[in-house]
Amino acid sequence: MKILTTVKKVVDVELNIHVKDGAIVEDGLQYVINAWDENAVETTVQLKEQTGAETTLVSIGGGDNTDIIRRCYAMGIERGIHIEDPALDKADSFIYARVLQKVFEQGDYDLVITGKQAQDTDNGQTGIILAEYLGLPCVSNVIGVEVIDDKHLKVSRAGDAGTEIVEVELPAVITVDVSINEPRLPQMRGLMMAKKKKIEVMDLAALGTSAEEIGCAAPKSEVIEFMESEKRSGGRKFEGDPAEVTAQVVELLASEAKVI
Amino acid sequence: MAKVLVVAEIKQGVLKSSTAELLSKAKAIGAEAAVVAIGSNIEGLVPELVKAGSDTQYIADDAGLELFSAGPYAACVVDAARQFGADLILFGFSESSKAAAPRVAAQLDAACASEITEVAADNGAFQVVRPAITNKVVQKVKVNTDKLVAVVRAGAFEADESIGGTENVVKLDIPAPDLKAVIKELVSDASGEIDLADADVVVSVGRGARNEEGIALVKELADDLNAGFGSSRAMVDAGFMPHNKQVGQTGKIVAPSLYIAVGISGAIQHLAGMSGSKVVLAINKDPEAPIFNIADYGIVGDLFEVVPILKEELKKVRS
Ligand SMILES: Cc1cc2nc3c(=O)[nH]c(=O)nc-3n(C[C@H](O)[C@H](O)[C@H](O)COP(=O)(O)OP(=O)(O)OC[C@H]3O[C@@H](n4cnc5c(N)ncnc54)[C@H](O)[C@@H]3O)c2cc1C
Ligand SMILES: Nc1ncnc2c1ncn2[C@@H]1O[C@H](COP(=O)(O)O)[C@@H](O)[C@H]1O
Repeated sequence: MKILTTVKKVVDVELNIHVKDGAIVEDGLQYVINAWDENAVETTVQLKEQTGAETTLVSIGGGDNTDIIRRCYAMGIERGIHIEDPALDKADSFIYARVLQKVFEQGDYDLVITGKQAQDTDNGQTGIILAEYLGLPCVSNVIGVEVIDDKHLKVSRAGDAGTEIVEVELPAVITVDVSINEPRLPQMRGLMMAKKKKIEVMDLAALGTSAEEIGCAAPKSEVIEFMESEKRSGGRKFEGDPAEVTAQVVELLASEAKVI
Repeated sequence: MAKVLVVAEIKQGVLKSSTAELLSKAKAIGAEAAVVAIGSNIEGLVPELVKAGSDTQYIADDAGLELFSAGPYAACVVDAARQFGADLILFGFSESSKAAAPRVAAQLDAACASEITEVAADNGAFQVVRPAITNKVVQKVKVNTDKLVAVVRAGAFEADESIGGTENVVKLDIPAPDLKAVIKELVSDASGEIDLADADVVVSVGRGARNEEGIALVKELADDLNAGFGSSRAMVDAGFMPHNKQVGQTGKIVAPSLYIAVGISGAIQHLAGMSGSKVVLAINKDPEAPIFNIADYGIVGDLFEVVPILKEELKKVRS
């Protein structure tokens, strides 16, 4: 089995993010591997351990993202492709999906594993659109994977009515949720070894395509303004005798907030 | 005039409130509004679909559509969108919508926007507003294509009961099942319970409740209040709570009148799913827990002590 795993470098959401004049203030931001993609990498490495699958990751944009690719190497990924091209500066999910389609078509892959969602866009679209472009089956929001044979997977998906157990034929695309696993922490030794490994950096031309073919000049949508989100402020905190403070709060819920 | 197609949200044969909310929004932006309903045994819903504000009802009713499968579901929406000539296709917020919307957009060569809280048509060009980066910012997005597919964040729009519609049923051809992604089994979690998305009060349990016993205690509180019973991710991952009870960025978005967080620390990903609640009550033994930064009322204490008292006190006020 040959697996292609997608990994995006995104802003660290645990840090404060400020907006000024309709744009995000770059100062003080840090960039990390997208949480869901870390789960995609863990899923990939587990499949490699079970089946001897060949593993390749691809990351588009993100500037210098050798750090996150090395981290994935240290987790067990064998090959890393970084696609960087100024024409992709305004890319939306459809454009990323077109680029991923090119990468897929060059590699004879059996399975694509993407994150469910990128933490910077919160779109949850790219993997599903890629599957449409490739005409492949797709299961999104996957929380479990089992290999049936080299042509079929049994995946579980968190759906509205419960957990759906889906048998999917390969080649296929799956998008994974954070609940699927607990990504391993790369060990020191792995990180040292990863430093020596090559990262294949390409622009669109090296990928055998062009900005025109991908449609870079015509994103279907673009963010024109960022705004601060409405912050909820904390109200009152009650400490002390549980019986007393609880009675007090219930009284307020009834008389002040009027919600009970 | 813009044409808006709303994808009806149907759960266990019941039409959910999002359908009327989306149709009301469609009419508020001055559009002609149609609805597409997909499922099994749903033809009886037509009068409700009309009342909710649709002027055309595209119906795909077949036993094979009983279980959600993104491929056939998307095919029905695309078919209806083409027949109607839709410029804007609105989905309510659900896992099914999130799975189907990007497929529909790719097939129609439309733009796709997730979790929108506002949509406006400005000279035929759509603009949407949506949270991003785990709700840390809000973005205004300009749509460059003439067609847009959007998933609307739960609770974003209100239903206008006065609009009404007209009956004009169009039966859709039933698409072939997806033979390459076959649902073998549905492990359903606690159906008959109150739907989190609809509940006026939601009580959620976090890791602080520790185990089944703690969960049972918090669940009793939810039952007393006739509330939806939700969970943090920690309790879902620990296997104590089913996935479809998870509130937060990768779970349900809720905006009830009262949200009670019990033993939940208040991670940003949890807040992303509940910060639209009108009033928040938090119970946590750690006075520094981040949940207190956003809670209107916070009780610092051991939930095993506080929850039983809370139940009694609530009984007193409510009787
Ligand atoms: C990409 C991504 C997506 C995520 N999506 C979600 C999501 O959708 N929803 C979600 O909830 N999380 C999500 N998370 C996880 C989130 O970051 C937190 O890990 C999670 O919300 C923590 O759950 P918790 O508050 O129950 O547990 P903890 O953070 O462990 O908090 C437990 C709390 O209980 C309190 N406590 C302990 N004992 C008691 C007691 N006896 N009485 C009272 N209080 C007590 C503690 O003081 C503590 O504050 C996501 C994470 C990532 C990376
Ligand atoms: N620039 C990118 N490079 C690599 N993978 C990406 C990129 N953008 C999106 N993806 C993948 O697609 C998933 C969903 O992204 P999104 O549609 O932006 O929410 C992410 O979790 C990634 O796995």
